[in-house]
Amino acid sequence: MTDVSATLEAPAIRPGPTGHLRRRRRISLMTPLTYLVALLIVGITVVPLLFVIVDGFRSNAQINTSATGLPHPWVWSNYRSLLTSSAFWQPLANSAVIAVIATGLVVGLGSMAAFALSRYSFRGREGIYLLFAVGLLFPINAASLPLYLLLQKIGLLDNLLGVALPEAAFQLPITIVILRPFMRAISGEIEDAAVVDGATRIKFFWRILLPLCRPALATVSVLAFVISWNTYLLPLLVFTSTQHFTLPLAVANFQTQYAQDTAKILAFTALSMVPALGCFVLAERHLVGGFSGAVKG
Amino acid sequence: MRSIRKHAAITLAATAALTLAACSSSGSSATSSSTGNKHVTLTWWNNATTGYLRTVWTQAAAAYHTAHPNVTIKSEPFQNEAFTTKVPAALAGSNPPDIYQQWGSGQEATQVPSGKLTDLTPYTSSWIGQLGVAANAWQVDGKQYGVPYDLHTVGFWYRKDLFTKAGITSPPTTMTELNADIAKLKTANITPIGVGSKDRWPDAFWWEYFAVRECSTATLKAAIKADNLSAPCFVKAGNDLKAFMATNPFQKGFLGTPAQLGAGSSAGMVANGKAAMELQGDWDPGTMTPLTANKNLNAQLGWFPFPAVAGGAGSPTTALGGGDGFTCTTGAAEPACADFLKYLDTPAVQTKVVAANVGLPANPAAASALTLPAMQSVQQYNQAAPFIQVYFDIAMPTNVGQTLDTAIANFFAGQATPQSIITTVNQAAKTQ
Amino acid sequence: MSDTRSVTATAEDAVAVTPPIRPARRSPALRRRLELTVLLTPPLLLFIGFVLLPIGIAAYYGLYKWTGFGPLTNFAGLANYKIALTDPAFQQAILHNVIIAVLSLVIQIPISIAVALLLNRGIRGRSVLRLLVFAPYVLSQAITGVMWLLILQPGGFADQLMQAVGLGSFVQLWLANLNIVLYTMFVVLTWQFIGFGIILLVAGLQGIPVELGEAAALDGASGWQTTRRITLPLLGPTIRILIFLSIVGSLQVFDVVWIMTGGGPAGASSTMATYLIQSGFRSYEFGYGSAVAVIMFIVCFVFALVYQRFVLRRDTRGALTRAVG
Repeated sequence: MTDVSATLEAPAIRPGPTGHLRRRRRISLMTPLTYLVALLIVGITVVPLLFVIVDGFRSNAQINTSATGLPHPWVWSNYRSLLTSSAFWQPLANSAVIAVIATGLVVGLGSMAAFALSRYSFRGREGIYLLFAVGLLFPINAASLPLYLLLQKIGLLDNLLGVALPEAAFQLPITIVILRPFMRAISGEIEDAAVVDGATRIKFFWRILLPLCRPALATVSVLAFVISWNTYLLPLLVFTSTQHFTLPLAVANFQTQYAQDTAKILAFTALSMVPALGCFVLAERHLVGGFSGAVKG
Repeated sequence: MRSIRKHAAITLAATAALTLAACSSSGSSATSSSTGNKHVTLTWWNNATTGYLRTVWTQAAAAYHTAHPNVTIKSEPFQNEAFTTKVPAALAGSNPPDIYQQWGSGQEATQVPSGKLTDLTPYTSSWIGQLGVAANAWQVDGKQYGVPYDLHTVGFWYRKDLFTKAGITSPPTTMTELNADIAKLKTANITPIGVGSKDRWPDAFWWEYFAVRECSTATLKAAIKADNLSAPCFVKAGNDLKAFMATNPFQKGFLGTPAQLGAGSSAGMVANGKAAMELQGDWDPGTMTPLTANKNLNAQLGWFPFPAVAGGAGSPTTALGGGDGFTCTTGAAEPACADFLKYLDTPAVQTKVVAANVGLPANPAAASALTLPAMQSVQQYNQAAPFIQVYFDIAMPTNVGQTLDTAIANFFAGQATPQSIITTVNQAAKTQ
Repeated sequence: MSDTRSVTATAEDAVAVTPPIRPARRSPALRRRLELTVLLTPPLLLFIGFVLLPIGIAAYYGLYKWTGFGPLTNFAGLANYKIALTDPAFQQAILHNVIIAVLSLVIQIPISIAVALLLNRGIRGRSVLRLLVFAPYVLSQAITGVMWLLILQPGGFADQLMQAVGLGSFVQLWLANLNIVLYTMFVVLTWQFIGFGIILLVAGLQGIPVELGEAAALDGASGWQTTRRITLPLLGPTIRILIFLSIVGSLQVFDVVWIMTGGGPAGASSTMATYLIQSGFRSYEFGYGSAVAVIMFIVCFVFALVYQRFVLRRDTRGALTRAVG
């Protein structure tokens, strides 16, 4: 995107606080329409989620009588029994461990690769970058079957690493693609100054570059974590014993095992949404902020 | 330098987690080579996710553990439909479960080349004769690779109260009578027949029973042996089914109805009086019970066999059926596993299985424990049947069987013809 | 921010007149090569091992008929590929992926753009709105599948809600009707992913300087003209990325479909991925499944390459050549 703003001078008008394109506020049809659309979106997004959460507090009899009613009386046993059993906590822990490993690996290795590809110049650099970028085009779902065969060969089936390693590998492309321009943008003079002071390139990487790239690192971390957390097909194939199931797997399995206990399934589904939504609320800044950066460059 | 510490922390955590994960790899373990004094844990994949059978299995595992304190059986129930993908994946992997659900016949034969099924012959030769001829369906090349725990016959499970309401005095014995009864039910505003088309194999029961009525026993045996359905009676069966479906006997939206999952399944429909009957295996009463609050269900359920088809070369008393069993996978836990399967066939456990109304006992000694009159009818029919045809998708090699199920399901959806079913299946058999 | 300065300060003071020189290192080229090796080898190993190798394996196994156990003995050449490409069920699955992709472009993208434009206008509660719109995206597709499976049960929540607001006559068998089920899947996928597109576009909009709009307003342009001639074109790169991600996503759909319908009834909602799992695992035909996986790869790869070359190239060219510092 070319930088156009420098060519326009409008001294009497200051840029808006959020710096975006905006019409002057006017009583027009647009404002109520905007609120209507916003309301519609909130409705469509939130109502299904509310249904799941609220109906976890009803009994099956209540749900069978009327699917759209409110709990009357409120039934606590569904949520309570789930929160006190390992049926929920064990998959949660599995998902967490896998996500942490995958994220740690991909951020660590991704920043190393991005560093090499952004601040060193060597023959074949663009070729290697292209190799990684090409990985963006490979859907992990298509690779699921051959991955399964590979993991079987190296004995990583039914093992948490058997999921974490491929997840990290498939996240490398997008991580490198996001990190490289960030690292590139760090002024060469800072690096020179550090080198003059006796720092090795690696030390520069570790102590200066990475901290400077914090927003981008946050974005790729959150992205990798969320994607790892939500992966379904690979764990479905890799895990044979239920004790290793991740949360999405456990939810789907629960639905088939307790099919007639609709209320309990809804409670389980609601509980499974909490970690994802919770982390999202905390990390939302980084996700959206990172997108701005990635989109621009 | 907060962020550097954060990075270090993340790396540390990741390393720790990595080590933990590597150490905690793999599931069950068997640490002894016999039921001696070392402890053995057996992972047990079964399909009893709900109902009384689930309790029976839990009790059986506990009782066996009490009798053999060094053996622990860990029951892991999975929904029936999950086994079609889980078992192939497990057999191709390095850590299959010690015990898993086994339906025998051609399907078992497809699994044997994996080398992971235990040849139980040395463990079973002394007692398996008690089970009768039925146990042979779990042999491959004369070797016992699985042990049955119950047997099945497919027939119509119907609501006597709804039949009465529609003015039907006795169950039909011919197709003409069945069609007449369907019309009566429709007049009384009752959905005549429930079918769990989503799961494909309930559809297959329909086609296969028409095939069993149209084809002679010799033709059936030859077809299964050769993996070839070219005999004309099979196309006739498809045409019979087409004519039958033209009368719209099934529930609305049958294509999306599962067979056993939840109150909206075909079993749930009959259990709750939303449909008058379904063509199902004799596990149906046990499946239906948890799907309804109706305590009177067992008294209201009746059974009648698939009616005779005019002009068919097959006998009206030939049955379509099969059974459930378990297989042991190779490994250090084999003796314990074989012994546990033997335990499941003892009269003590068999009477409980019977009480769960999930099928006929594999051990004939427990037949007297059948209390449900409907189940007794099934047992009598089973004993009197001149020939029991195992469901085709189990009798044939797995890929052919799956192709047949899918072709019939497509037929139910109006996407296949009686002839195309044959062609597709023969094609799949050829590319074996 | 660097705290490595202190030690060499005195030495530098001593030669203050001459410009600082790089401290000499033993064979800098060798050291550099060592660094590069250390930096690049682990990521490359992981990537090649778990991303590229599986493709190679799939291509190899695809040439055999293989039940998944035992050695590969039954060489079949390109037979698996031929069977797959001529199998009506696979063709149907590919068609479904294409339909979903086209619908995403034709329905989701315009809606996302319109909503992003509206949301960008600065209404109260915007940050909460952003949160809510994006929320479905962070949910696992599997969980979304279970949720909607329960909501869309015949006579369930969706049906009752529609009846309550007077839309009862529109109630359908969402998951059992052959003609509708694929579009039901599309609606569920839209629910899950449209927030992502909206947020991405809002981020893109925020990168457009406000002076442009104000200058246009000064020149007498109406809101719509500004949008059409300035905003949308400047939003182009973002839109093109969104299109790319939408299409790649559409080609991969699995979780939601598998859980809700398993690809049925009668394959009416199948996708390439559900066909892959069914044919590969259910029938003990891992060789065939591998061939299907390779075909799926090629489809995604070719699309992405073509798109990259003809559409994205002009967007990324600027990004790649942006000068360092």
